[in-house]
Amino acid sequence: MADRIFAYSSSPHVKNPRTTKHIMIDVCIALAPACIMGIVYFGYMAALLLVVSVLSAVASEFIYLLITGKKFKQIIQGFDYTSCVTGLLFAMSIGVQTPIYVPIIGNAFAIIVVKMIFGGTGKNLVNPAVTGRIFAFISFTSVMASGWVAPSIGAILGGSSINPLTGATVLTDGFATPTVASLSNLDLLLGTGLAGCIGETCKIALLIGGVYLVVRKVISPTVPLIYIAVTGLFTVCLCGFDFAEFLPSILSGGLILGAVFMATDYTTSPNTFVGNIVYAVMLGLITAGLRVSSGKEVVSFAILIMNLIVPLIDKFIIPRPFGYKKAKKGGAN
Amino acid sequence: MKKANFKKIAVDGVVAQNPTLKLVLGTCPTLALTTMAMNGIGMGAAVTFVLICSNVLISLLRSVIPNQVRIPAFVLIIATFVTIVRLVMDKLLPDLYESLGLYLPLIVVNCIILARAESFASKNGVLASAADGLFMGLGFTLALTLMGAVREILGAGAIFGIVLWDFQIGFFASSSGAFFTYGVFIAVFSLCQSLIQKKRAKKEYQLSMASQTLDKVCATDEEVK
Repeated sequence: MADRIFAYSSSPHVKNPRTTKHIMIDVCIALAPACIMGIVYFGYMAALLLVVSVLSAVASEFIYLLITGKKFKQIIQGFDYTSCVTGLLFAMSIGVQTPIYVPIIGNAFAIIVVKMIFGGTGKNLVNPAVTGRIFAFISFTSVMASGWVAPSIGAILGGSSINPLTGATVLTDGFATPTVASLSNLDLLLGTGLAGCIGETCKIALLIGGVYLVVRKVISPTVPLIYIAVTGLFTVCLCGFDFAEFLPSILSGGLILGAVFMATDYTTSPNTFVGNIVYAVMLGLITAGLRVSSGKEVVSFAILIMNLIVPLIDKFIIPRPFGYKKAKKGGAN
Repeated sequence: MKKANFKKIAVDGVVAQNPTLKLVLGTCPTLALTTMAMNGIGMGAAVTFVLICSNVLISLLRSVIPNQVRIPAFVLIIATFVTIVRLVMDKLLPDLYESLGLYLPLIVVNCIILARAESFASKNGVLASAADGLFMGLGFTLALTLMGAVREILGAGAIFGIVLWDFQIGFFASSSGAFFTYGVFIAVFSLCQSLIQKKRAKKEYQLSMASQTLDKVCATDEEVK
């Protein structure tokens, strides 16, 4: 016994070959269908925006690390693809008419200010892609919020659009006046004829990506499902219990993109199961409430608000430690 | 009475105890008015004038004002000068008066002025207090003008009202941009200060080492003798 050498190490003691890198590559794969559909609908410009966005996100991270004195080789070894995901999500949440400098500036803000200054991957307070998008939205309102281009299947082949509806989406038509939507639910689901951001139009592709992530156990389906359901139900309540609003409200705008890919970010969502339910329900209430009252798309703002409340949720909802019994009220001290 | 150290007052006012970037006083006008560099100069000039005048008067009256009612007395003196500034500016510079708006009368409750009255003018002589007011005001003006210039260039694509290019990042013109710019300015300012301190400490260390080795050499010389 005496000459046996024990290896001491701090926790975690159980190791899994799966690292942040693998998870982030999985997320990239899950985002791929929606990206491809975006390129099919919106043409080469969408592909260019996606590529520029990813490159600028990765470049921002490299430049920041080089300035802080890391060696180039170390950066390559430590690179975990989180900035790729940020870049992809950013490009997917902007319209195809956006000028090329917007993703460059937006990603530089998202990576350097939101992520790296707070300590890099896993230490950021709010989701970088969401915050970068809001930064770009506030900064370049004139070029980002107008001139929506309707998607067309033939765009990549140079054909004309099949459904020439431009401008107002279902959201800008306003939920306040519960009229019959100008687009059918199938149109909303497939994203045909609906103006919108590159990655959020084709809901089917987003749902495929979400199912892939759930199957690979990258995300748990709790948050997206509750978020989407609560948004739909609360919209129905606010529009005078008109259940015809249920499907259009959950199928329009960036709700599915936000619910599946942005609200489930590990760093910026609560740690406990109960906390996650509170988080998702509040997300849904905020999204539906703000949407109906403002008539604009607010998913990214709702996620940003809730990201800031997450530390509070984690503070008040604490899991019961193993073997711990709640002290009886009024018992002998 | 000890002689006032004017060099120290100047360095304290503009750099070492810069009211905006180091003491973080008077943040309300700093955040609200720095959308344009011109606002920074206007606000800075108004505050500097009030600061000098109130410092001088308070320093003159410091033995007369009873300790128990000093704060109301200070506020009364400051309010007098703020009223003068308001009336003069309204007459001579109506545009600037318009753009400063509510923040001009609010100089009365500006922390910088009250803090200097309390911690400096009520304890020091007239000349030193006037110098303190001047340099504190200069530090405030410099910080506000620099922040205003950065926010104007990025947020409006212009400087001092002259349009440079047609490219605006609206974030910097909004209030969230004000907080962001302010934070970055404080960070950069602290970084510069700590770098200077490190350099100074290194120099002192080298000097002390040199004198030690010199002492040793002398000591060994004596031993040899």
